[in-house]
Amino acid sequence: MADLLTAPPATASAPPPPPRARGARRARTTLIGWSFILPNFLGFALLTLVPVLGALALSFMEWDSYNPPEWVGLDNFERFLNDESTLIALRNTAYYALGHVPLTMLAALGLALLLNRRLRGVGFFRAAAFFPYVTSMVAVAIVWNMLFDPEFGPVNQFLQFIGVDSPPGWTTSVDWAMPAVILTSVWRDMGYYMVLFLAGLQAIPTEYYEAAKVDGATAWQRFRAVTLPGLRPVTFLVLILLTVQSFKIFDLIVVMTDGGPGRATLVLSQQIYRKGIWEGEFGYASAISVVLFLIVLVFTLIQFWFNNRRERS
Amino acid sequence: MIRRRMLAAVGLAMATLLPLTACGAGEDEAEGGPVELTVAVWSLASTPEFQTLFDAFHKANPDITIKPVDILAADYPTKVTTMLAGGDTTDVITMKTLADYVRFAGRGQLADVTDLATKPESAKLAGLDQYKQDGDKYYALPYRQDHWVLYYNKKMFDTAKLPYPENLTWDQYVEAAKKLTSGTGDKKVYGAYQHVWRSVVQAISAAQTGGDQLAGDYKFFAEQYRTALALQEAGATLDYGTAVTQKTGYASMFESQKTAMLPMGTWFIAKLLSEKKKGTTDVDWGIAPMPQRTGASGVTTFGAPTAFAVNKKAKHAAAAKKFVEFAASVEGAKAIAGIGVVPALKTDEVLQQYFALQGMPTDELSKKAFTPDKINPEMPVSDKTAKVDTILNEEHQLIMSKQKSIDDAIKEMESRVKSEVG
Repeated sequence: MADLLTAPPATASAPPPPPRARGARRARTTLIGWSFILPNFLGFALLTLVPVLGALALSFMEWDSYNPPEWVGLDNFERFLNDESTLIALRNTAYYALGHVPLTMLAALGLALLLNRRLRGVGFFRAAAFFPYVTSMVAVAIVWNMLFDPEFGPVNQFLQFIGVDSPPGWTTSVDWAMPAVILTSVWRDMGYYMVLFLAGLQAIPTEYYEAAKVDGATAWQRFRAVTLPGLRPVTFLVLILLTVQSFKIFDLIVVMTDGGPGRATLVLSQQIYRKGIWEGEFGYASAISVVLFLIVLVFTLIQFWFNNRRERS
Repeated sequence: MIRRRMLAAVGLAMATLLPLTACGAGEDEAEGGPVELTVAVWSLASTPEFQTLFDAFHKANPDITIKPVDILAADYPTKVTTMLAGGDTTDVITMKTLADYVRFAGRGQLADVTDLATKPESAKLAGLDQYKQDGDKYYALPYRQDHWVLYYNKKMFDTAKLPYPENLTWDQYVEAAKKLTSGTGDKKVYGAYQHVWRSVVQAISAAQTGGDQLAGDYKFFAEQYRTALALQEAGATLDYGTAVTQKTGYASMFESQKTAMLPMGTWFIAKLLSEKKKGTTDVDWGIAPMPQRTGASGVTTFGAPTAFAVNKKAKHAAAAKKFVEFAASVEGAKAIAGIGVVPALKTDEVLQQYFALQGMPTDELSKKAFTPDKINPEMPVSDKTAKVDTILNEEHQLIMSKQKSIDDAIKEMESRVKSEVG
């Protein structure tokens, strides 16, 4: 960076300054460069890097935040494997991700295809689809909770209207609480990813479609042969973003179900919060967060690997 | 530049802390000079009991002024923990919960106030027992204690031609609730509203059967759960699932006259008084003792005390003790009773003043409800409390939303407490 700033432009015709002055100037520009990076870097270091390294260290210790931490080696990770609640949280997190990622992608892509046309008032519809994303997560959770109310909620009233005899209890039912949370999060997130897909769609040259049409390709063939390959970079980005976001799910669940009923929607990030902040076991909580980090990392690496292989082939 | 700014920030922080620590350093109250006492409290503006106590204390001790150290209620435990760990010299620390108290006392951060607690007048303090540590030592003195009573809507009882709920057993409570339920849809009013907290079922059954919520044997919950589910089955209370999904507030249920009975803590009295004064509700209410087990003698309920403690590193230990004693005394009790807060000291004189408050029900039943024979702790305090609380709460949700039978859930509570808490 500093070299880029100090390197004279190739066309510069001015004679090079004397060596000493040049050294001083270089030092000054370096300093200026640093002063630009420093605020950001300090914030990152203090608020992200240090806590992350601290959590990594803590995961090998036992610490209640009062007494000095005690080194326990891999005990916390061993406990992870034997702790029923944490394993349930792991399973629930996977359940959520498996539901949330593909459904959001489908919904977002569908919306994008629908709204990528010259329609009257398309701007309005795009904004409407995007709107849930700018709404506060807490508000979304509370409103959807009301919609999902087993007795008075419009969702069940509608289901009864169309002839479902005993509609599910949604967030009060062990089996339906997670689907309810997934539906809500898909509804909230699809608008954002729709925008990404829209951008991707608009980057596909229209000539391809025209050429395909001339060749007599059906709409489905055009979609498979032109749209999907053209969207691949965006799809990859959305996949990664969604995966990371899914594994980190916290706020929606805390407000909607608080992990309940029982442990039906308890997820890893909530378990980390409970163990650390609530029960004062910071070592164990750190170990869970390290595992969560590794899971996300592995998934992301696998996705990169797949993407690279496909691009090469 | 950043470093300089950080230095400036640190300097500013130190400068604001200095007056706190430097004031009166080396002074001794015995000299009789004016003292500025610092007291750690939460959300001063919305918790009027503190300023009321401070004013009353200053009036009685004109040479001592009180400087509150105001902390956001939600941050209070963490903030005080950090303060004490850092050797802070704030003189008086409010013990918001028993769990906090046990932690601070156990780590030797509070001064011994056994001499105050063993004075004959302290024997009348409700909740004092729960501050006993290491056998016979006390490190805090309670000044308020909330316990659970049964709120009821007089008009709804009159309309149903039912006697006010005196000496109810739980079965009679369910029967009364069924009779008081009427209407459908939006117009439906319930005979009782059982809030969604696990305490509504679990703490009361522990208190009334002598069961221990930490011990890992939970058969004593069963009967209370049958009562709670019977109410729900009969439609005499708002369905648990609805209450959870709609985040129903117990206050709004009672104030908007959607329920005839409401088991709740005495803290709700101050709110009812002020809402009524403001005109946001016109409910004609009274309080009755909590329903009891069949065959029980006397009135047993549960509650939670709040206390003041002296910091071991206090700058003005003598004045701090004076304040702690004052808050638990008749004067202190009268001061907070005057704004509808329930004092730990419930002498006749204090009660008289309490029931003389404008808007307070004055009938004998309400007065009786106010002085139960026994107030057991809501949840015993130990290092296991938080973990057991999580487990009991999760299984409570499953029972109340009918995802699990009472027996299965109790078995699950027992095995989980055994394996996860040990």
